[in-house]
Amino acid sequence: MTAVVDPRPRQREQRSVRVIPGRKSRRPAVGPWLIVAIIAIGGFLGLGITQTSLDRAAFELAELNKAIEQAEDRNLDLKLQIARLESPARIAPLAEEMGLVLPEDTRKLYVDLDEEVPVYAEAERGESNQ
Amino acid sequence: MSAEKKRRFTAADVRLAVVGLFVVLAWLGMGYRLFHIQVLAAPDLARQGLEQRLVERELAPQRGKIFDRNGEILALTVEAQSLYAVPDQLESPLWVAQQIGGALGVDGDALYQRLTSGSSFVYIKRQVDRETAQSILDLGVKGIYAHPEPTRVYPAGVTASHVTGFVDIDGVGREGLELVYDEALTGVPGKAVFERSLDGTPILQGYSDIVPAIPGVDLYTTIDLPLQYQAQKSCADAVERTGAESCWVVALHVETGEILAMTGYPVFDPETRRTVDPACDDLEGEERSTCLAFRNFVIRGIYEPGSTQKLITVAAALEEGEVDINTVIPEVADELELKPGACEDDDDDLYGCYRDFSRHETRDMTVAEIFSQSSNIGTIKIAEKLGQRRLVQYIQAFGLGKRTGVDYTAEAAGILNFEAGCDICWASAAIGYSVAATPMQMAAAYAAVGNDGMWITPHLVAARTDVDGDIEPTPVETKQVISPTTARIMQELLAQVVAEGTGIQGSVEGYRVGGKTGTANRIGPDGRYTNETRASFVGMAPISDPQVVVAVLIDNPSREFRTGGQAAAPVFAEVMEQALHRLAVTPDHAR
Repeated sequence: MTAVVDPRPRQREQRSVRVIPGRKSRRPAVGPWLIVAIIAIGGFLGLGITQTSLDRAAFELAELNKAIEQAEDRNLDLKLQIARLESPARIAPLAEEMGLVLPEDTRKLYVDLDEEVPVYAEAERGESNQ
Repeated sequence: MSAEKKRRFTAADVRLAVVGLFVVLAWLGMGYRLFHIQVLAAPDLARQGLEQRLVERELAPQRGKIFDRNGEILALTVEAQSLYAVPDQLESPLWVAQQIGGALGVDGDALYQRLTSGSSFVYIKRQVDRETAQSILDLGVKGIYAHPEPTRVYPAGVTASHVTGFVDIDGVGREGLELVYDEALTGVPGKAVFERSLDGTPILQGYSDIVPAIPGVDLYTTIDLPLQYQAQKSCADAVERTGAESCWVVALHVETGEILAMTGYPVFDPETRRTVDPACDDLEGEERSTCLAFRNFVIRGIYEPGSTQKLITVAAALEEGEVDINTVIPEVADELELKPGACEDDDDDLYGCYRDFSRHETRDMTVAEIFSQSSNIGTIKIAEKLGQRRLVQYIQAFGLGKRTGVDYTAEAAGILNFEAGCDICWASAAIGYSVAATPMQMAAAYAAVGNDGMWITPHLVAARTDVDGDIEPTPVETKQVISPTTARIMQELLAQVVAEGTGIQGSVEGYRVGGKTGTANRIGPDGRYTNETRASFVGMAPISDPQVVVAVLIDNPSREFRTGGQAAAPVFAEVMEQALHRLAVTPDHAR
């Protein structure tokens, strides 16, 4: 039994074998992702820093408001002290204790505006005008 | 292959399917629940969450200040500390009551009772100053705490208390200007809504909605504090000198109706809310409470003005042309009987008998003499020419019998007793009986004479300023009650009274002063006149251009000081002199 070689190409096999162009191997593009990551991280950091700053500012503001309130209270206290110290009800008895008395023998000087100006005054005025 | 297809579900498959289904349903349920929470109920839940963190607090407005006419503070609100105890935390309530209560001036027994009454919160003392509160807290006693609380203080002490009045422990106006202007002084409360953490600390970046409180307005009164002090001191001295029950003074600026001073003695402490009068210490119960209560006779007390009323009678007769100052009134006796038999009893038990203060011969007198010598009989004869109807008209025109409208609480209207059938009331009214007036009414009537016949509403507040600094002046009513000519004549007649009549002790060096003394018997509890008197003096200065009117009333002085000239005129002189100096009025009377 001799084997017969069929010279025709085996079309079926030929059809099933085809050349697929290989993909060009390239390195993954990390640049854009890196940028996005940096922006994201930067954003988070920025937000965090901003938030911290805002919180700090808010704390400082709260402290300042408290200080203002304390200063206003202190101011009111001082005003009260001044008013109490200035009160005639406090000063008058102290003055009496220290020996101050109202003058009993007072002298009042009255200027009569209708009276004619003395002659010597006219003379002095005249001289000074010359 | 066909064998596999034909394989029937085993029990394991069913269990797996059930579990799978359960898992799917569970996921679906959780998904729905998530959807419900995150989408459907989200706004409501967010609101509930916020509400748990939100707290709403009322922002108390700062109560307005009260100033005198020179900007001196009469009343202001500062922050104090209120000490309180949580009795459950106290180790020894008795020690707290005795030691801490004693240090704060609190009744130890009463405090101990409150601390052991089962209450969970007890005030030890409210509104103490910060130093005192801190010294108590520094003791480190467990169960004692303090919280800030505003308190009203009056730096001038008792001096201006009859003007300012006072507030209660909660800062609500109860008397005087504090009550009249309570709403304006209080301001409008604000509101703060903010997020807080569990420990109550506000979340700084959280939600907040703050409507600020609007502070109360500031009142600028017409009072001159040094003059007010002088008036009070003069009153205190007068009470000591004359042995009187009380003394009251009011000083008015003639041209504006501004009240420069209004005070009296005994004095009232607006911070303790009690009258400072040793006489009260001897009393108990209701009498003691009445004694310690706030009084202001200048506005609320009524008295028969006596001879000071003659100004109105004579002015009315002059204005109506019935007399002039030189008109001679014939046969002026020292006694007049308008009801038959009234003068037969020396005790004057029957009304209708009128007598002059001093006995004198029956003689002809001019109107000027009648006024300067304060003749009751002569004045009644002048009033007879005028008639009751016109006399009443002028009394009312001068502001008696109705409230002056002064910006103060509970002003008395006074009494005009002209009831039908009283045929002698006109005569009584002509000399200051059958009429009851307040010292303020009398001062305003005299100020009208000093102001060339123009009556002006007396007032205590010149202006009020709101938080923006806008100034709102107090409106005043004016009315012409007599002509300027009659007013000038009356001023000169008043000057005569001081220069050579009954009011000589009311003179002030350097100034021409005009005034009128008044001495009226007090009415007893039985409604009849007693021998006790109310001595008064009302006058003005300088006569060349009256600037100030001062009215003084001394209630029940001792016998030797029973008249207005003896008891009230010296007080008038002291207050008037100070007033003229304070207003820098040029002297008009060289000696």
